[in-house]
Amino acid sequence: MTAQAPISLLVCALGGEGGGVLSEWLMDVARAAGYAAQSTSIPGVAQRTGATTYYIEVFPVPLAQLGSRWPVFSLSPVPGALDALVSSELLETVRQVGNGMSSPERTLVISSSSRALTTQERMQMADGRLDSAELLRIVQGFSREHHVYDMAALAKEAGTVVSAVMLGAIAGSSLFPFRREDYEKVVGAGDGAGALASLRGFAAAYERVHAPRQWLRDAGLEATAAPGAQEATDWPAPVRQLATLGVQRMLEYQGPEYAALYTARLRSVLAAERQADPAGRHDFAITREMARWLALWMAFDDIVRVAWLKGRAARWQRVRREVKAGEGDLLRVWDHFKPGVPEFAALLPAALARRLTAWDRARVARGAAPWALPLKVGTHSVFGMLSLRFLAGLKWLRPRGSRYALEQALIERWLGGVLAAAQRDWRLGHEIAQCGRLIKGYGATNERGKDNLLHVLEHLAPRGEPAEAAAAVRAAREAALADDAGKALDAALQQHGAPPRPVKAVPVRWVRRPRGLPAAKES
Amino acid sequence: MEVSFSKEIESLRLGAGQAFHGEGILAITKALLQSGVAYVGGYQGAPVSHLLDVMVQARPYLDELGVHVEACANEASAAAMLGASIHYPLRGAVTWKSIVGTNVASDALSNLSSPGVKGGALIVVGEDYGEGASVIQERTHAFALKSGMCLLDPRPHLPTMVRMVEEGFRLSECSNMPAILELRIRACHVRGSFVAGDNLARPVSTRALMAEPAGFDYMRLAHPPVTFRQEKLKGEERIPAARRYIAEHGLNELMPGRREDLGIIVQGGLHNALIRALQQLGLADAFGESEIPLLVLNVTYPLVPEQVAQFCVGKRAVLVVEEGQPEYIEQEIATQLRRRDIQTRLHGKDLLPSGGEYTVEVLAQGLLAFLPPPPGEGGGGGASASAAPLTPTLSPEGRGSEWLAALKERRAAVAAQLSKPLPARPPGFCIGCPERPVFSALKLAQQEMGPVHIAADIGCHAFGTFEPFSMGHSILGYGMSLASRAGVSPMMQRRTLAIMGDGGFWHNGLLTGVQSALFNGDDAVLLIFKNGYSSATGTQELISTPAEPARHAAPDKGASLVHTNQTIETTLRGLGVKWLRTVHSYDVARMRATLKDAFTSDFDGLKVIVAEGECQLERQRRIKPWIAGLLKKGERVVRVKYGVDEDVCTGDHACIRLSGCPTLTLKDNPDPLKVDPVATVIDGCVGCGLCGENAHAATLCPSFYRAEVVQNPRWHERLLASVRGAVVRLLQPA
Repeated sequence: MTAQAPISLLVCALGGEGGGVLSEWLMDVARAAGYAAQSTSIPGVAQRTGATTYYIEVFPVPLAQLGSRWPVFSLSPVPGALDALVSSELLETVRQVGNGMSSPERTLVISSSSRALTTQERMQMADGRLDSAELLRIVQGFSREHHVYDMAALAKEAGTVVSAVMLGAIAGSSLFPFRREDYEKVVGAGDGAGALASLRGFAAAYERVHAPRQWLRDAGLEATAAPGAQEATDWPAPVRQLATLGVQRMLEYQGPEYAALYTARLRSVLAAERQADPAGRHDFAITREMARWLALWMAFDDIVRVAWLKGRAARWQRVRREVKAGEGDLLRVWDHFKPGVPEFAALLPAALARRLTAWDRARVARGAAPWALPLKVGTHSVFGMLSLRFLAGLKWLRPRGSRYALEQALIERWLGGVLAAAQRDWRLGHEIAQCGRLIKGYGATNERGKDNLLHVLEHLAPRGEPAEAAAAVRAAREAALADDAGKALDAALQQHGAPPRPVKAVPVRWVRRPRGLPAAKES
Repeated sequence: MEVSFSKEIESLRLGAGQAFHGEGILAITKALLQSGVAYVGGYQGAPVSHLLDVMVQARPYLDELGVHVEACANEASAAAMLGASIHYPLRGAVTWKSIVGTNVASDALSNLSSPGVKGGALIVVGEDYGEGASVIQERTHAFALKSGMCLLDPRPHLPTMVRMVEEGFRLSECSNMPAILELRIRACHVRGSFVAGDNLARPVSTRALMAEPAGFDYMRLAHPPVTFRQEKLKGEERIPAARRYIAEHGLNELMPGRREDLGIIVQGGLHNALIRALQQLGLADAFGESEIPLLVLNVTYPLVPEQVAQFCVGKRAVLVVEEGQPEYIEQEIATQLRRRDIQTRLHGKDLLPSGGEYTVEVLAQGLLAFLPPPPGEGGGGGASASAAPLTPTLSPEGRGSEWLAALKERRAAVAAQLSKPLPARPPGFCIGCPERPVFSALKLAQQEMGPVHIAADIGCHAFGTFEPFSMGHSILGYGMSLASRAGVSPMMQRRTLAIMGDGGFWHNGLLTGVQSALFNGDDAVLLIFKNGYSSATGTQELISTPAEPARHAAPDKGASLVHTNQTIETTLRGLGVKWLRTVHSYDVARMRATLKDAFTSDFDGLKVIVAEGECQLERQRRIKPWIAGLLKKGERVVRVKYGVDEDVCTGDHACIRLSGCPTLTLKDNPDPLKVDPVATVIDGCVGCGLCGENAHAATLCPSFYRAEVVQNPRWHERLLASVRGAVVRLLQPA
């Protein structure tokens, strides 16, 4: 019985990435080089952006030396018996590692560090992304040898698709007994520009894997660099950076007076925290959290701010970059706005705002949709820019408007809740401060967040033992971010003995139709 | 369909001695021509779509050969097509996805099998079972048994697959039984080579027509009283004839091994996996030579009792490797052994799992249980205990069990290192798919009206059952959605919604759903996705596909053209549908209003909404070469892309929960004060407009912008832009 066994390679890709072309290339290379090989795949419906795999086996002895014998190849990968795993996406790599495919004694893993986020990760209300560092650790821990680098970037640089880059990596790893020229001949056989780009991507990946290990440093998984903020001297060091950013945000948002209000509020928090934690064992975490969330809440998003952000020259340049408009290309940009009654009422004094809102409610009660003005504003046009400038110029109206008054009142309630809680127990104060994360967005999203926060403040914060209350607040906060229908939040509230949130009246109109039965009255 | 199979078509022309390289399903297609097939039909579906797609595109060549190709309306019409082989010496082949297609075809198959065939009839089914399958896990085997059809399950090795096609026709002719050739998913997509033969000339073809119809012969009707005689013929003549042919021509392969006291009987399709499992245990070499003798069943029905008995007799134990349930082959072998009083121990489903794909790992576990334990251990579930170990590597410390134990350990270790389970990545709507906006509208409509019962269907729109939409209460079959709510809607206060694609509508939804609902005066809402193609199976054309002249005439090749074909609407009106609305599927606000209208209208009959928007895959296939051509000529091109203002985005991701488009994803928040990632539109956006529509319809945050990049602008555009740009720049703050 011969000891020779086929060399096995599992390729993980997403539908539409050219995995089929890659396995065809490999088959062609094997044939040209004179080796027996077989590839299979399960494309099925995975062609539509789902995860898919391709499996290739090559017998390492040239056909010429096998006589008339042909090896029997497996149609599916055997977990733990893989020589290599090549993948264009980090999560898919780890999925296969988790299936037991990669063996620490045998398997070479070449994976892209880039992520194509799954729908589940993208649809979360907060940050549902998996930790790439954790994924990378698993690749490192369960492979004989691993190469991880950003294949998507490499493909983009070469102006080709990721399949060419994956082939380059396979060739560079010397997994199969083929020469570089064997691969290049097949890849270059296509037509013109496409083939040249494929060759570029192939070569880049080949060098990357074939060259000495200098690149083995973990691929750039750290992003967001700290911004160069000016120093504010009188804040404790851990708070300084965020507090400075907060002050800057207030200046940009409204003006010096508003910045002073922010500072005063934050100082009250600092004072309370110093009392709760005189030794500073917690590195001023409450104040730090408040510096962030207070600034974001105080700079609540309204049409004035959105108009200002959209009208800036820097924004125009960013859009040009994002859409890759060339030197001689013209760019037209339309912004989607749909201000409704609440947005306009926000800028009116309370009495006027009430009347406007009442009018809209009456409309809805009659069965009409809430009034709103869907706009597509051409930011590239003079009229569009004038409109944005006009709206941005309404900044003076903001502090006189009803929304401003409402937001300040709510901010004071939350702030009061944090101060009171910090006096009872540092942890409880810290948890309530973090509830600022619930406040974001516009319209219904924003209102939902505020309702949730108020409910937590009212029903969970004052409960029994501070430690218990802290745990309850934390559970409710996390639940509130779990789904936007609030099912998880209601469950968490009930679990901690608080009443569920009151049901909001929603007009529902139905026609009861089975013939012979009286129409049901639902509303 | 605008995918080109020109390369594949070339390989259909190969002659004797030339080497064929390619996928299994294409090899089968070539084998049909080598067998002298006169007519080919079928219905698309993974994993056999390619067979028909290639044949349809190869029409000019097939015309030369005199082969007729028909893209059938469904599997029933494909199966009925085989009726040509009842009277005439015509070899015919049809193809579809099993098990679902075989279910649809079963009426015709019964009525074909009963009179039997004169010309060879071969049904190539894609056995969509195991990993990557998209249908119910059931066996085609049951149909072969009940109707009396031969079932071939060739070893996934191109020369064997090709030979079994050729033998399949001969087997069908000598036994008068139609034959099914089943191919598992990976076998369809396996790439390999074989030495081609010439395409066989046909005595009767579209180029050599028959002069007269066959004479009247009651025996060839599946109609009593002759059906009683036909039933007897199945058992008395046809099956014995098939068995003789199988044995005489060596369709099943006997592979000897040193250990003659043991044996394994395996379905041909599982041969490679079994060999790899034996290799893992050190019991076979790289070329498939096994220590244990194998009987490889390339024909799994009918079995040849003498062959099986001969293989088993004198052995201590035999293992039957048979995928899926119930274990028809094992049961039949048990009966045969019992009748002949052969005392060989029989194993199968007692050592192997009843359900699921037989992967190498699963088979290795079964083999370990089957093989005799090492000396001194005694007992064991498998072959008798007294035997010596097969090889030293098979002791519990040996490499087989070590490998399996390591696997278990490693999976647990990885799971322990992950802070949460990995999210699944199911297939989803394409970028720019016209069906996604309809689900956005449906989500929004339900937020206002309350949830409704949604009868879902087969097709791309079934991706609406995945996140972020998670909609659909039942899927009863292709085109069955409207029919499947017939018992629900009379019992429910709210109206129900049935969703159907145009593929499902023509496959059978028109009759089982629309006609039935109209006849019974049902109050229901039907939403038809009119994207112009049977998209999920690879964008095959339908009767409602935009015609070639319309595509040619369209000034904007990127525009949806499905409105140019009104077959669905005229059919519905002709049938008597009174409430019919057509809505452009990207118009989310209008779709939401139309849905609400349908659910609250006083009209209490069938309400049909046609969501019109051409399949984006097809549009992109048209757009790409068109744009490239324009740019090459230096002509004006407008490219649309959507984007998100990172400083306006709230990080709530409501837009993603309403869309799920792969190009609408997340990036780190550039604002150091904010922690949650912001939405971003990455390269690949085709500018379908859904982001903007959703932003308006759902009153999302105002962070979306639509950018139009004008390449090669005209001179007056340039002039206007420069003047305008100068003014705008003056107005812009930094």
